[in-house]
Amino acid sequence: MSTFRIGVDIGGTFTDLVASDKETGVLTNIKVPSTPVRLADGVISAFSRFLESTEPAEIELIMHASTIATNAILGQTGLELPKAALITTKGFRDVLAIGRQRRPELYNLFGRKPRALVARRHRYEIEERMNPKGEEVHPVNLQDLQKIAADIKREGVDSVAIGLLNSYANPGHEKQVKEILEKALPNTPITSSHEVSSEYREYERISTVVVNALLMPIVSQYIHDLVDEMTELGVSAPFYVMKSNGGIASGDVILSSPVTMIESGPAAGVVASAFHGELLGIENVLSFDMGGTTAKAGLVKSGKPEIVTECEVGGKTHRGRITKGSGYPVRVPFVDLAECSAGGGTIAWIDEGEGLRVGPLSAGASPGPACYGLGGEEPTITDANLILGRLNPAHLLGGKMRVHKELAGKAIGEKICTKIGLALTEAAMGIVKIANSEMGKILRMVSVERGHDPRQFTLIAFGGAGPIHCCALAEDLGISSIVVPVNPGLFSAAGLLAADLKHDLLRAVVKDVTEIDSQAVEKTFQDLETEGRTILEKEKVEAENMTFIREFDARYNGQAYELTIPAARPFAATELEKTIDEFHERHREVYGYAAPEETVELVNARLTVIGLVTKPKWQEAPLASEKPAEETISARRDCFFEDHDQWLKTPVYVRENLRPGNRIRGPAIVEQYDATTVIYPAWEAAVDRFGNICMERR
Amino acid sequence: MKVDPITLEVIKGAFRYITEEMGIALRNSAYSPNIRERMDHSCAVLDSGARLIAQAEHIPVHLGSMRLAVQQGLQYYEGTLQEGDQMLFNDPYISGTHLPDMTLIAPIWYDGEVIAYVANKAHHSDVGGKVPGSLPADATELFQEGLIIPPVKLVTDGGMDRDIVSLILSNVRTPQVRMGDLRAQMAANNLGMSRVLELYREHGIETTDAAVEELMRYSERRVRAEIEKLADGVYESEDWLEDTGMKGRAANIKVSINVKGSSIRFDYSPTALQVEGPLNAPLGVTLAGVYYVLTCVTDPTIPINDGCYRMVEVCVPEGTLLNPKRPAPVCGGNVETSQRNVDALLKAFAKICPEKVCAAGQGTMNNVCIGGIEPKPWTFYETVGGGYGGRPGLDGMDGVHVHMTNTMNTPIEALEATYPLRFTRYQLREDSGGPGEWRGGCGIERRLMLLAENATLSILSERNRIPPWGLYGGKSGALGEFYILKPNGKLIKLKSKCTQSMTKGDILIIKTPGGGGYGDPLRRKPELVLGDVIDGLVSEESAQEDYGVAIVDSEIDWKATERLRINPLLSDT
Repeated sequence: MSTFRIGVDIGGTFTDLVASDKETGVLTNIKVPSTPVRLADGVISAFSRFLESTEPAEIELIMHASTIATNAILGQTGLELPKAALITTKGFRDVLAIGRQRRPELYNLFGRKPRALVARRHRYEIEERMNPKGEEVHPVNLQDLQKIAADIKREGVDSVAIGLLNSYANPGHEKQVKEILEKALPNTPITSSHEVSSEYREYERISTVVVNALLMPIVSQYIHDLVDEMTELGVSAPFYVMKSNGGIASGDVILSSPVTMIESGPAAGVVASAFHGELLGIENVLSFDMGGTTAKAGLVKSGKPEIVTECEVGGKTHRGRITKGSGYPVRVPFVDLAECSAGGGTIAWIDEGEGLRVGPLSAGASPGPACYGLGGEEPTITDANLILGRLNPAHLLGGKMRVHKELAGKAIGEKICTKIGLALTEAAMGIVKIANSEMGKILRMVSVERGHDPRQFTLIAFGGAGPIHCCALAEDLGISSIVVPVNPGLFSAAGLLAADLKHDLLRAVVKDVTEIDSQAVEKTFQDLETEGRTILEKEKVEAENMTFIREFDARYNGQAYELTIPAARPFAATELEKTIDEFHERHREVYGYAAPEETVELVNARLTVIGLVTKPKWQEAPLASEKPAEETISARRDCFFEDHDQWLKTPVYVRENLRPGNRIRGPAIVEQYDATTVIYPAWEAAVDRFGNICMERR
Repeated sequence: MKVDPITLEVIKGAFRYITEEMGIALRNSAYSPNIRERMDHSCAVLDSGARLIAQAEHIPVHLGSMRLAVQQGLQYYEGTLQEGDQMLFNDPYISGTHLPDMTLIAPIWYDGEVIAYVANKAHHSDVGGKVPGSLPADATELFQEGLIIPPVKLVTDGGMDRDIVSLILSNVRTPQVRMGDLRAQMAANNLGMSRVLELYREHGIETTDAAVEELMRYSERRVRAEIEKLADGVYESEDWLEDTGMKGRAANIKVSINVKGSSIRFDYSPTALQVEGPLNAPLGVTLAGVYYVLTCVTDPTIPINDGCYRMVEVCVPEGTLLNPKRPAPVCGGNVETSQRNVDALLKAFAKICPEKVCAAGQGTMNNVCIGGIEPKPWTFYETVGGGYGGRPGLDGMDGVHVHMTNTMNTPIEALEATYPLRFTRYQLREDSGGPGEWRGGCGIERRLMLLAENATLSILSERNRIPPWGLYGGKSGALGEFYILKPNGKLIKLKSKCTQSMTKGDILIIKTPGGGGYGDPLRRKPELVLGDVIDGLVSEESAQEDYGVAIVDSEIDWKATERLRINPLLSDT
């Protein structure tokens, strides 16, 4: 009997299941269509397929990435948001509606603010007040609270959020309110702001707890459905969910903090890159995922995915950047991601000023690119790649999908060439160049904007379309090495198998370093560790697999935003100087200058709690000859390369036939079931012992 | 030289992206909450002829004036700027906006020649002068408003000039914060310089310059095409500043817009003469208003650059409210007069293209500045949002900044941790949105209590006497109001422009105006009125009197509503 670990990743089009055999490292893949209306169905059908050849008892562990939370926030049909109530400090019920008082779009007289997620009529005020030092100014008015509880009951509210002013400094009132409400409303989920985010800035914290409250009933239903239906299939393995921070958490832990799983899927891709980098001994990785509708960039520094501490969800994005104020801020750690509308199905068009534009509209999977012949008439990035000879002119998906080059040519000809007077090749190349420049920007956002030099990073390119564009992007950013993993299309799902349990805990400190009581800080960290240990014990992690990472959020006294720097364990007075130095250094790295004469302020103590999970084995093979066997070349076709500005006769290799050790000089194309890799003329590729294609710029 | 459309699109995106990246660098490394939290700053790239190439979506009043600022500032250093220099100034008669806005310009050198400029403008929350925050409502000359900095080389050879820095810091109330913000401005320009240089290196000077020309022509084509769609003619409108500061006098802004083919002319000749108080708007502010409205009513997706303004002629006689002569005070021009200018322009465009405009928004920024010296010197500055005007098909937004500004609020928790203040209310105002088929947005009520012994408050606001107008049957939004509530319960009404002392326990009450309504309120769907009533944004009385909707026990009385709507006068009985 074998033992399997399963990764299940729900994507926009497909739900991927990857099973790794614990002994041999052999991977089994199952791809089924995603079922947006009831996501659990797709997962269950993938499991049913897997169980056709496997016993339920052979499954040891399940890791899951799901879009359920995102879909709910984006207002997916079938996932209507529940009726939620907010309880807040008297005088402040409109904090949620006013937000940061900004209009999302500057010059649009018809712009809108996002609708407040809790209707004004369900935002209740309670007399109470803390000051910023955490001292009580006014106790909680218990009579108010009883009235509110009665009202909530009468209104049939599904979920309750509590967000009081200055609770980051002292959560006493929030705890008190929650305790009383739990008694009065025994069947209603209740969540309070200090439990999900204990940082200052009331709007962001209240928004976070409100999103959490809205997701609680939905995610709880989802997880219960999944577990029930899996139990029916006889599967009783422990069930973990990928969080936005790149770690996993047990299903039980997620039930009380679903707000932490919003970017579950995209985070998995970056985690996969980090793990893959570790496997190959590469510490600094730029992760690039390009699928059917979007491209996503992430960054791994010193083996760790970069993390941001806040994100806006459900909003509009403009060129990879979230339009501030168009969505709902959620302040929990997220793997840093930038996204743009550039995928195989993204549509190219001519604007009113005769400019060539790519995206944001996508032809999706249906009708899909014009070359699919399924009725699509708009030219897409896939059509452009086909015209340029980069994609197989007859079929994709290992022969399962016929393509029609003439339809691609017709779409580009009619919608682009005739409008601005370009030849077909020029137009197709233009579409690819513009998409590349947009994708270059998202890679810059996660690197250059955060103070990292992309030239010191290796690009890992995956998703169905990532390996087509990776050379051009690497050249744009000055990157000299690229890795294309064995199964680019399943890379994210496989990444789930490599994730550790991870929880983020935080306490506000807010003190000048000159006033820091290092013993008190040490005590704070120890309290957080105790808290973390309790969570991991609940998730059945052995003590020797627990790791605690301490950090500070710090800033110059007077600044309003913080940088995160490491904190020593244990933390003693002697460590202060080092902490201060690290801060100056980090500030220089990110903003280009440091101000050593200024006082540094420690704002938060952060603890990342990690429960290490044994990593899956990876299949490897000894290196064979450098020269690929004759039969690996399936064809030679003309392929257009912008750096040579001409068509080059290009050999086409079959990925499945390549052997570890084989070397290929560009220009070359490597085709496989769900992806195509384009090796530019200036690049040379070698297949490593795991089967990855590793490219270097000559 | 002709640039292929692909390179063009790539270069266009790159310039725009550089300005965004500069904005992020500025924001992230700045010290003051005004920049870090409220993002009261703007960034742009200009070509070697000081023509605007690209700007990020920051603050319209800054952006529209940037071009003029750079052009005028550079005249001071014609040919004498060296590599590594950056030029700072805040003189409104050069920079085009008020003293708190510091402009920093850096030339970008390539092979010994200037190929482009990067520039940024940031609002410093204090630049000295007679009151904390440097927005004295009773100023009668520029010298009272703060330190005037003519174009000076703040940065030489890549480093800050210590003499200039110490001169500036000696004249402001919060020197440490000013220094942090100036450094952030420099960091933003440094970043912009290296990114622009990379871009030029990648594509070559000739191609990049040619692309810049083409980008400007592209925007010009598109704006012209939009103006062509407007009916030729002369359209006039007028709006009023209710109180210009000194003697409580009103002043008008009168504009006539002449649309002819693909060109457009704005003539402000009949506008009031410059005033004694600080409501004069430097020319840069006036132009910013014109450019803002033009962008809104044409197509906001057209990339903004020099080409957008080639068909625009603006005539503003010198010595008027909208183009004052030195040394007239101007601190309120950015924040208040700029908004009224937009109101006047939108009112005129309502005659040209009613489907593309909104009713008047709150029309003020409600500048509130409180400062003291206990327990240590502090200056708190904020502007408070209000109602946005109703639009055909859409209600006005509640509680936002309108038109010429888009700064964020500072979190109450950040303010309470920094200043001796406690906030006691931050809410939308019931019945403040102007009734209309599409309701005006609601204003805000904000209350804060002073915890220190003493402080000086100064207010610079508008729309406390003349309300934001409605359009096409929509009614006005509510007036703004300011009060001090003394600990003994006494309520003192304040003027919209005042400087006042506060003592411990005083509560400042700020009520900001609502937006005007659009269309006849009797045509508003009764269900929408009911929703507003249940949410407490419209009272039952207003539902009945303004909207003709009778509501009983949270339900619509349809029969009574029908009667009211046939004969609205019935509601009086």
